[in-house]
Amino acid sequence: MSSPNIVSAGEEIEITVTLNGETKTLAVPAHQVLADLLREQLGLKGGNVSCASGVCGSCTILADGEPVAACAQFAYQMDGKTLTTVEGLGENGQLSAVQKAFSEHSAFQCGYCTPGMILLATALLEQNPAPTRDEIRTWMSANICRCTGYEMIIEAVELAAGESA
Amino acid sequence: MTAERNIYRTIGSGGPRVDAAEKVTGRAIYSTDIDRPGMLHAKILRSNVAHAKLVKIDASKARAAPGVHAVLTRDELDQVNSPVYGYFIKDQPIVAMDRVRYEGDTLAAVAAETEAQAEAALALINVELEELPSVPDLDAALDGSLPELFEEAPMGIVPKYGAGASGALRPIHNACYLFSYTTGSAAAFDGCDHVFEDTFEFSRMHHLHLEPFVTVAETSGEQIEIWTSGQNPFPLRKELSRVFGMPENRITVHTPYIGGGFGAKNNCKTEPVAILLSKMAGRPVRLSLTVEENFLTNTQHAARLIVKTGVMNDGRFVARESTIYLDSGAYSDASPLVAEKAGYRIPGPYRWDYIQTDCYCMMTNTSPAGPFRGFGGTQTTWASESQIDMIARRLDMDPIDIRKKNLLKLGDPFVPGESGMDSDLAYGLDLVAKEIGYGDKDRPANRGVGLSIGFKDGGGVNKPALARVKVATGGDALLQCGTAEIGQGAKTAMSRVVAEILKLDPARVTFAPINTDHTPFDQGTNASSAITVMGQAVERAAHKVRDEILEFAATQLGIAAEKLDLADGMIVNGEEKHPLNLMVMGYYGGTGFEFSADGYFKSPNDHEAPLESPCVFWEIGWGAVEVEVDPDTGRLTVHKLVVSGDAGAAIHPLVCRGQDEGAAVMGLGQALFETMQYDGTVLTNGTALGYRVPLASDIPASFVSITQEQGHGPGPFGSKGMGEGGMLPVASAIANAVEDAVSVRITSLPITPQKILKALREKA
Repeated sequence: MSSPNIVSAGEEIEITVTLNGETKTLAVPAHQVLADLLREQLGLKGGNVSCASGVCGSCTILADGEPVAACAQFAYQMDGKTLTTVEGLGENGQLSAVQKAFSEHSAFQCGYCTPGMILLATALLEQNPAPTRDEIRTWMSANICRCTGYEMIIEAVELAAGESA
Repeated sequence: MTAERNIYRTIGSGGPRVDAAEKVTGRAIYSTDIDRPGMLHAKILRSNVAHAKLVKIDASKARAAPGVHAVLTRDELDQVNSPVYGYFIKDQPIVAMDRVRYEGDTLAAVAAETEAQAEAALALINVELEELPSVPDLDAALDGSLPELFEEAPMGIVPKYGAGASGALRPIHNACYLFSYTTGSAAAFDGCDHVFEDTFEFSRMHHLHLEPFVTVAETSGEQIEIWTSGQNPFPLRKELSRVFGMPENRITVHTPYIGGGFGAKNNCKTEPVAILLSKMAGRPVRLSLTVEENFLTNTQHAARLIVKTGVMNDGRFVARESTIYLDSGAYSDASPLVAEKAGYRIPGPYRWDYIQTDCYCMMTNTSPAGPFRGFGGTQTTWASESQIDMIARRLDMDPIDIRKKNLLKLGDPFVPGESGMDSDLAYGLDLVAKEIGYGDKDRPANRGVGLSIGFKDGGGVNKPALARVKVATGGDALLQCGTAEIGQGAKTAMSRVVAEILKLDPARVTFAPINTDHTPFDQGTNASSAITVMGQAVERAAHKVRDEILEFAATQLGIAAEKLDLADGMIVNGEEKHPLNLMVMGYYGGTGFEFSADGYFKSPNDHEAPLESPCVFWEIGWGAVEVEVDPDTGRLTVHKLVVSGDAGAAIHPLVCRGQDEGAAVMGLGQALFETMQYDGTVLTNGTALGYRVPLASDIPASFVSITQEQGHGPGPFGSKGMGEGGMLPVASAIANAVEDAVSVRITSLPITPQKILKALREKA
């Protein structure tokens, strides 16, 4: 069951988050799902919701550098955290190393899972700048891509790791 | 065997796809992102019973619920011209009328201010059903004592077929369609040294496209405008025109980026309900299904294939008679078309004296089955390539030798009246066999290798395509064509064709958004047809606009057009270069001008061709695997997977590679574990968590894809389509490798450890 797009009732909780580098104080309904906060309320539609049950990872964002499924977290749980969505990647209009690798290696097809995959890979390389192929494979197995067969995604993460090494 | 590539500026080169920047930054817009002012949200009430008469449906309480603006039940269907839709057979109601036919069938729909309010209102709808005996699977469908899903024949048509092919509506009890094909004489069986009959079971997958079925509908007066995740905007517009009784020029279909489809996003899905609710509410309506509802909307066809093959002692193929039953689910959807393809493709790319096939679409009380990557070819390759291996082993022949003995040669027609093979099949087979180490004698115990050749006719049947290329004052090009970007790289490929012909940097070609008001007609993004069908229309449009520009320049310069060239927005005359913009403004003035030309392509109609027009191209997927079976547990490990397609010419090599690899991994899932599980009529794993699809960790330790460029394709620069071939050979190659490893044959999918263990025990 998906969550409502517009929430009409329930307790509101004030949270402070650093979202893509900007500190924001927001009043969020207690039962609002993070994906709805980002997509519907804040207009950050780069990340896509698919399964709405925390399985596929399309809506992955980073919370304090850790990948989380935005469809399976309440917005209030993000209080005090630093959040990164796909809109927050790259600097000065330049793509991040991972975005660049995905772009140049065509490590996407329909693109629906891509923002989530890119954020997942970003978290990996933050924690482990020189992962082995097996480590990449295991880590990237958190998210589903139905198009690529994964090989080119794994290679793109290897490329990005090489780039930032 | 590589196409000459150094002669091209753009074709065959690397570089990002044209949709890369939007997709890696999250700026790509999908139908799920569309937000219209005043937009309502819709939810659907689905049947929790598989087969029942709809006695009563009362939505009065729902209509009065908070936030609700419209409720759609059978009582509102008088607002449409036709309450049913479908491809050949119009049998699927927008909402249930007199019956529900599967668990998940659409009973009613609500549009409200929020999805939560719509969902709450669904609970207030009072439904009375009178259960009927259900028809859960093929065996039940073939059991004449169970009720027909349709008591009356729904409106349907049989298209015109050519030599040897025929179709029939409602041929037997609980079948909606039969496709038959015959060539040669049945007497051929009499002369065979051996006749083998084997039965194969094919499992049913769900597409699991990550973007759901979703429509935003906005109606006003006599106008319908929709943004929808559909891969065939023009056929959809035509069907909506029939359903709503509105001319096509009053229906606008927008096709934003599509978040995956794999066949599912064809014809009416969420569109009629969203449009009708919007008409009733007078507001835009968004209907976006959940992943659970996607499972209840469209699936692959489970199938039983009974294949009788007559051969000679030396392994020569003589005759093949096949009976195929497709599980079509509760509504016909694209089943007749899938039957056509399964029935046509079962002989595989081999020489036969006699072919006879009957392919039945059986109705069951399960999710409607429709188009799925491979489209009948997955089912038939599974059966045919399994049986060919089995026959080789029975005759004590090497499976590669029996294939090579019988394979069609380059240029050989598939069957009488058909176009010739446009790939060297034996060459591709040797390529994958070499890569897998076929014939390696010192393989460890319990390891084996298997080969398979996936085969389908590509490019669709009788598909017209139109494209327009416009070149503005400065020489930059705008391409208008209706091929939807569904992930396959169509925007990149088509833009590159234009860039190559106009000698422009691909960044100077823009692929215009698809909108049926402005985009020239296209029959649809399906059948791996984009590059060979639409590609030829784009190619022609680009050549035509180039000719127009050069003729204009010739007049301006007083030089024959043949002496001029166009490159980088300049008119080139030997060493001289004239910027196009100055020449245009010199003649047309400061307001500029736009050159514009249309291209058209369609494979010609031909009654000698069994499907009424010869196949545009042949899509081949060569596969080879090495597996290991644990004899104690049945555990199956795929150590190496090799897949190869023939791009003809790879317009963007990484895009071609991605098509083969993505398709192969879908085939791997089907082979090993991915399947919709039914307990009777109840789908027991129709959730994201319950339904297992391949993850990165499922990729074999060695996964190799080889993009061939044999250069014989009909598309621009010798290209061929690539979208489906890689899926076709995987399951049968694995079954063949399992037999090679441990001498047991698995004839039903998926190939689970349980089945292998059972077979090993039976053998022991």
